[in-house]
This record gives sequence, structure tokens and C-alpha cells, in this order.
Amino acid sequence: MLVILLLAPPLFAAAISFLVRRYHRAVGRTGALLSFVPLGAALTIAGKVVDGETSLTWWNGNFWRADSLTALVLIFVTAIATLSLILSPGLGRATQYDAAGLRRYHIFVNLMIASMQIAVLTNNVAIIWVAVEATTIFSAMIIPLRLTKESVEASWKYILISSVGISLAFTGTVLGYFDFVSLAGRSEGALNWTELVAAAPSLHPEVIKLAFVFLLVGYGTKAGIAPMHAWKPDVYGESPSSLGSLMASALLAVAIYALLRWKIVADANLHSNFTNDLFLTLGFLSLLIGVFSLIRARNYKRLLAYSSIEHTGLICIGLGLGPLGVFAALLHLTNHTAAKSFVFLLVRGIERRYRSQAIKDVRGLYKSMPLTAILLTVAIMALAGLPPFGFFISEISLFRAGFAVKHYLLMGAVLALLAIAFAGMLSQFNKMLYGEAPDSIPRGEEDGLWWYAPLLVPLTALTILGLSLPAPLSVLLQQTVRIIMNE
Amino acid sequence: MEHNLLSTLTSLGASAVLLFGIALLWRRSMQAYVHAFRWQSSVLSAVFVLVGYFENDLELYVVATLFFILKVLVIPRFLFRLYQKVGGEDEVQPYVNYASSLVISGLLVLFAYLITRPLVSVSHLPTRGGIPLAVALILVGLFVVATRRKALTQIVGLLVLENGIALLALLCTFGIPLVVELGVFIDILIGFLALQVFVYHIHGTFESIDVEELNKLKG
Repeated sequence: MLVILLLAPPLFAAAISFLVRRYHRAVGRTGALLSFVPLGAALTIAGKVVDGETSLTWWNGNFWRADSLTALVLIFVTAIATLSLILSPGLGRATQYDAAGLRRYHIFVNLMIASMQIAVLTNNVAIIWVAVEATTIFSAMIIPLRLTKESVEASWKYILISSVGISLAFTGTVLGYFDFVSLAGRSEGALNWTELVAAAPSLHPEVIKLAFVFLLVGYGTKAGIAPMHAWKPDVYGESPSSLGSLMASALLAVAIYALLRWKIVADANLHSNFTNDLFLTLGFLSLLIGVFSLIRARNYKRLLAYSSIEHTGLICIGLGLGPLGVFAALLHLTNHTAAKSFVFLLVRGIERRYRSQAIKDVRGLYKSMPLTAILLTVAIMALAGLPPFGFFISEISLFRAGFAVKHYLLMGAVLALLAIAFAGMLSQFNKMLYGEAPDSIPRGEEDGLWWYAPLLVPLTALTILGLSLPAPLSVLLQQTVRIIMNE
Repeated sequence: MEHNLLSTLTSLGASAVLLFGIALLWRRSMQAYVHAFRWQSSVLSAVFVLVGYFENDLELYVVATLFFILKVLVIPRFLFRLYQKVGGEDEVQPYVNYASSLVISGLLVLFAYLITRPLVSVSHLPTRGGIPLAVALILVGLFVVATRRKALTQIVGLLVLENGIALLALLCTFGIPLVVELGVFIDILIGFLALQVFVYHIHGTFESIDVEELNKLKG
């Protein structure tokens, strides 16, 4: 039942967007309203899991399955889906896109949301792949809502790089299946994650290592882990803001989810630091590239993409540091989901007012758009890791985890890079916030106050996470850590 | 005895499939690319039928039929039409020239043999001899995508890469379950249609399908 409540609303919303020939804003509003149903269902699942139902399955089978890890990512996906649908183009009166573009947007964004949910709800590792691949196609269709050279370039690079990457993930999936089949013979459940984990100790380490490398490159491309990150700044820069927010938070979480499922299988087999070392190496590389690109960025949307690569790096480092690190990584992922969904939606107004994405063109935000400027300041402080926001706590936990397993050198380097990122973030955005706004720029906010109200939700979440960890979330995270550590 | 025959025939089939993949590397006309892909897909569906016959597996016949329809009949036709509509640009100057491409493809095959050694030793299927060839095809497909500069030839590279994965799945496991295979086919078809839309977009906005032109986004 819960599965239907999760999947039917986005599919229904996609269907009506498809059937109503000329886009009407009632269609978009219906979709946004419907998106509260999956959010409720996701919270229900999380509630059940926290209450001790470790694994939920539906319809007497185990094709659909949810545990704490599922519940956590499902909340991210459904919550960001609601937020981005409420603030997506075509719901209000004024819009910069034509009816055909809006119709396309609402069809594909809902399909993308549905496939992200399928990816986390299924127990079958090949269906996870099919669903993740589908998100690539659906999101690529709506990156160029207006055809410009830049948006076409971004979407082509995205769809090509992601398609290649994701087919490598499929190669890895096939290799994992192959190992299982050579051991146990072909059976119906051979691609089920639960059976793979159960059989993992007797699989062949050499094959599993090879499979995991393919999977890491593949799903790592979707997550934008360096050196497979090249598409990220292009796509985040050129997408409509609501899509950018969905990709930077929900899609990132789904890609990491897929990686984690396979990490559990590989670790259960290898009993070594093989996957951890890979996560640490690629995580550090992402952090390094993210930070140094960030301080040199000239376009604020691309800057946010580099910040995303930086934080993805931190998450990967955490995942490679044992149980404490995994906890820090999950907390960091939670913070990042809240912050990135919010900040991409926020810069939309700046982009429209100043008609430019260049940092040098935007001056005097405090004079021209005071409310936006305040919210942006808060977001930047959070992303830079200042208290009282969640990132401060998750970064401290990350360092504690790193020192606990005696990675002193690595953690020292991470600290130095974070300091550079901090200075870079502040100096880059200071240029935009202060100074005199050009006279040609009208004063006042771009949207009515109702538009900013939904943004307060992720902002509040980020602040609460910085002050204390709510008990249910803490339980959910700890359960998830136990799943990932396979205890 | 029967298994020896299957083993010989699949190795032969896999070699032919790989050769059609490498054939891309010294061709420049787009038509030659599509023909090579079409032949490769035909041989690959024949290998599916072959394994299905020896193993008495009806599912593989279904997969072979779908594969044939999708990759021999439908996609090549779309590719030809696309080629004509965007004004027939061929792969004249790839980033890596023809001679070096061939040398590199030879190295890729060697590399594939190296990394698949554990796979071949684990498998006890008669088809295991072809596994390195399938991985080699995946690498060659990857190489084509990375070094060719026309949007259309990159798509063919991606399709060849996907053929490599299909071959790998067949030789390693006698095919993945039908439900999954259907999902994969749908993904491939939708993915291909999406790529096709973008080729039109690229052609429409840049008046060329040379991806060298796609260099606006920096910093």
C-alpha cells in the first residue's frame, strides 16, 4: 500500500501533464499538491523503521523492500521533490518559459522523481540500475528548457558522460551477478540485494573487487565524484533552478545510496579496507578539485556546483572511515540535502534580476534584494561550516572519526582544504552581497513572500541539525550505520 | 563434446562481435559506422540463439528476437535517418588518428585479458573463453566515445559499449533474468531516442554536430 502511495502520485502527475495538451498552471499545482502524499508515506516508513521493523516488504515478495537506509534516502527524495515542485516554473502567473517547455518539464520531472523512488525501494540490484539510468534520461530532457548553445552543450555532456558511466555500473552489476550465479546457480532471487549480502562471504574476492571498481566508477559518475565530475558545473549552471536543486540533493543521495548497497556486499566479502581506501582516495580528490575550482569560479551557479563536489568528497571520506565516519557522512549528506536544495532555489531570483550568472555582474544584493541577501548569507555561512548550522556538527564528527582511526595526515589536509574553501566561499559571495547595486537594477524582491516561505523549511532543518540531533533522526542514522557496517 | 562445440562457436561469435567493434576505428564515413554496428548486432543475436539452443533456454530466444528488432532493425534505421537530416558529417579527424587508434585497441584487448583472468578461472561455463573479448569490446566502445568528435559517432560508440555488456552478461551467466533484460531494453531505447533529440538540438543551435564546438561552458 505504501509503495502505491509513493509511486502513484508522481506517475499520475506525469500522466496529467502529458494529457493536458496545452500546459495550464493547474496541472503544475496538482503535481505539487500530490507530492505531499509520497512525503507522508516516506515519513510513515521511517516511523515504522525507527519503531523497530527492521525490514519492510510488500505483497509477499521481496521485490519491494525498505530498511533504515531506504527510509533515510526516501525522505530526502520525497521532501526535496515537494519543495522543488512547489517552487518549479509554471505554478505562478509569471514565467520565463513557454507552454511547451513547461509541459515537458512537468512530465519529466515527475517521471524522474518516480524513478528515484523506485531505485531506493527495490531490492533488485539490476532494477536499481535501470531506475538510476532512467533518471539520467528524464533529467537530461529538461535541462535545456530554453534552447541555447550553453544549455544544449550542458545536456549533451551530461547525457553522454552519464550514459557511459552508468553502463559501467551495469557491467559491475553483471559481474556481481555472475559471481553469485557461478556459486549458487541461476535462481529467481539471484539479483536481490538481500540474497547477495547473505551469499557475499562465499563469493570470489577477485571478482568482487573488479565488480566494485566498475560500480564505483559508474555510480560515482552519477554522484559527481572526481575524476568523474566534469558534467556537474555545466549541468547545475544551465538547469532550471528547481531541477538543479533536485539533482544537487535528491539525485546525489540516490547515487550514493546505490554505491552503499554495493559497498555492503563488497565489505561482507572482502573484510579489508579495499572499499574504504577507494572512498578515501576519490573523496579526497573530489575535495581537492572542488575547493580549488571553487575559489577560482567566476559564475555563482557553477561555484555552487564546485561546492557540491567538495561536499560529495567529504561524504565519501566519511564513508571510508569506519562506523563513526559513516555516521558523520550520513549526517553530512542530510545537511547537504537541506542546504543545496535551498540555495539553488534562492539564486534563481538573483539570476532573473541581474540577468547574469557572472559573479562580477552581481553587486549590492543587500541594497537591491535585502531578503534574498539575508537568506543567501545564512546559506553561505552554513555551507562554509560555521555554527550554529548542521555542517559544523557533521564536519566536527568527521574529524573525530578520522582521528579515531588515526588518519592524522589525511584529516590535517582536509582541515587545510576546508579552511581554504571557507575563505573562498566568503570572499566570492561578499563581492555579490555588498557594494552598490547598479542603477539599472530595480529594488525589491523578485517574488512575493509566499515564494520564500517554503525555503524556510530546509533552513530551519539546517539550524535544528546544528543545535541538536532530534531523537528519531538519531535512531534512524544509527540504524543506517549498522546496516552499512553490516552488523 | 557438445560443450566443446558450444565453446568453439561462442568464442568465434565473440571474436566476430569484437572485430566489428574494432572496425569502427579505421572507418570515417558514418554509413560505415552504422553498418558495422548493424553487423555486430546481428552476429550478437545469433550468439544469443546459439546459447539458447545448446542450453535449451526459451528466454534467450525471446531476448535474441527483441535484441534483433531493437539493434538491427530499429536503431540503425533511426541512425541513417538522423545522418541524412543533419547533413551527412563524417568522422574525418578524430582526436586520435586511425593508426594509433588501432594500436591502442590492440592494447585494450591485452588489458582486457589481464583483468578478466579471475573471471575466467571462476567460471565453469563452456562459454567462458569469450569473456575477455566481451570486456575488450566494452573498452573499445569507451575508447570510441572518448576519441571521436561527431555526436553521431559517439552515439555509435555508446551502442557498441552496450553490446559489449550484453555479450558479457550472456557469456558469464547465460543471460540476466528476462524482467531485467526488458528494463534494460526500454532504457536503451528511451536513452537512444533522447540522444537523438539532442543531436537535432546540437545541429539546430551549432549548425554542426562536431562536439569540438561545444566549448562555451568554462570557469
